[in-house]
Amino acid sequence: MNEQQRKDSTPTPKPRGAVPYKRSWKNLLINKRYQLRFTLFMVGLSTLLMVGLGFWVMKVANETTEVSATSVRGTPCPKIPTIEVVEEPAPVPMKLPDPDAPAPAPAPAEDKEQPAPDAPGSGSADEDRPRVKVQIDESSMTMMPAVPTVVPVPEDLGQKVVQHWTCELKLAAKLEQLERGRLRILWVLIGTGLLLVLGLAGYGIKMTHKVAGPLFKVGLYLGKMKNGRFDKVYSLRKGDQLVDFYEHFKHGHAGIVQMQRDDLARVKAVIAAAEGSGLGDHATIAELRDLVARKEKSLE
Amino acid sequence: MSDPTAATGAPASPRPRYKRKLSNYLLDKKLQLRYVLIVTVLSGVIAGALGFMIYQQRRAASESIEKDLAALTQKDTSQDQFQEQIASDLASEDQALVYKMVGVGIGLVVILSLYLILMTHKVAGPLFKVSMYFERMADGRLGVVTPLRKGDMLVDFFTSFKEMHDAVRTRAQDDVATMDKAMQALRDAQNQGDYRGEAHSKLTEALEALEKHVADRKSKLTDFPPRSA
Repeated sequence: MNEQQRKDSTPTPKPRGAVPYKRSWKNLLINKRYQLRFTLFMVGLSTLLMVGLGFWVMKVANETTEVSATSVRGTPCPKIPTIEVVEEPAPVPMKLPDPDAPAPAPAPAEDKEQPAPDAPGSGSADEDRPRVKVQIDESSMTMMPAVPTVVPVPEDLGQKVVQHWTCELKLAAKLEQLERGRLRILWVLIGTGLLLVLGLAGYGIKMTHKVAGPLFKVGLYLGKMKNGRFDKVYSLRKGDQLVDFYEHFKHGHAGIVQMQRDDLARVKAVIAAAEGSGLGDHATIAELRDLVARKEKSLE
Repeated sequence: MSDPTAATGAPASPRPRYKRKLSNYLLDKKLQLRYVLIVTVLSGVIAGALGFMIYQQRRAASESIEKDLAALTQKDTSQDQFQEQIASDLASEDQALVYKMVGVGIGLVVILSLYLILMTHKVAGPLFKVSMYFERMADGRLGVVTPLRKGDMLVDFFTSFKEMHDAVRTRAQDDVATMDKAMQALRDAQNQGDYRGEAHSKLTEALEALEKHVADRKSKLTDFPPRSA
């Protein structure tokens, strides 16, 4: 019997043998209410757990980072020794010492410096003293700037500077590492959460589809039965759930088919007996023949 | 287990309100436990992994504090006891956190499992009920289909089942009426015609068989006995 002769338009599920059925992602949501409810519950619960516990993890991670950072900041580094610059001593006055003269009173260094030769009131006592006569001839010597004072530095200064800055850099790197660790936890949580939500959504829909699929198939058969068609029931696809439920359905379907066959057997026997008794043209027999025709058609 | 397909209305005595029993909650163990296990294990894994991370972070902070304290009190032996006390306090706080998290995790799993059993029961219940009707149909019994309980899922599926069941039942009742009417008409015709012989006896036998068949059908098409019966 071809499809056009059928009274209803309910599609017949194809037998498994002919063309292997392939699940299509477009058909995954066939019972939206059931599938989305279960999937969203699973996804929602996981999201809730991830967000709630994730916030807790981040709170503790922030505290730990802060504690560790404080500890790192408090780590002492070897200090760089300070270099003391020694003051240049005052120049010695260029005069001969007077053994008889009393020790002069301490005077500011500026006073001791070479007084101007023709300064007023230079003192008559000084005039009698023997003076060193220096004759300055023209010289070809070039006046050079004063030689800088050589500052004495500790021998291990270089080593200590290196140690200090190595330590400082290590601490800075440690602080940066702590911050990176904190951020890594955050990104791992966000990444895992997103993957989990997407994965669960896909898995949930696929998992519920294995329940919704058999229900959809049974629903098609129910539509056919409602329209008075009791044709063959095919098996479920591999991996489908509700196998027991489907067996119950097949059992029930077989019971209805058997009912029709029993009716047919009884009615056909009556028709045959009536025809044998000469009642074949009776109006009731015509009605029974219609009944038989309808029941036979329903079983095709 | 009570029969969920039992008819609702007994005219004489009102049907007692159906109550869900604890023992009936796992109607389809395979379907229900599968979902319950998946969700529970998943939640356990998430909670366990994040809980471990929390513990790890907390322990790291405690160890950092202990280390710093040890460094501070290194030269002062009188502070040893204080240091041990602080370390012990921190360790017991961390331990308490672990117990707290394990407790919350177990609570979560138990509550979640119970809730999921209730949730899946709302799917397994209608399937169980429809399965019972299918078994009755297998025996040719086509009684009245009672509605689902409040809160049950798969309402659309159940509605299409009920429509099918009602249509098959109506058609069966019509068939029985047709057969009954034909039986009476043929009996009358047989009596009026004064038939004799083998053909007559064959028709009588066929009509008797049909009568039994119709009586059987009628009995199976009547409503199911009420629950209290």
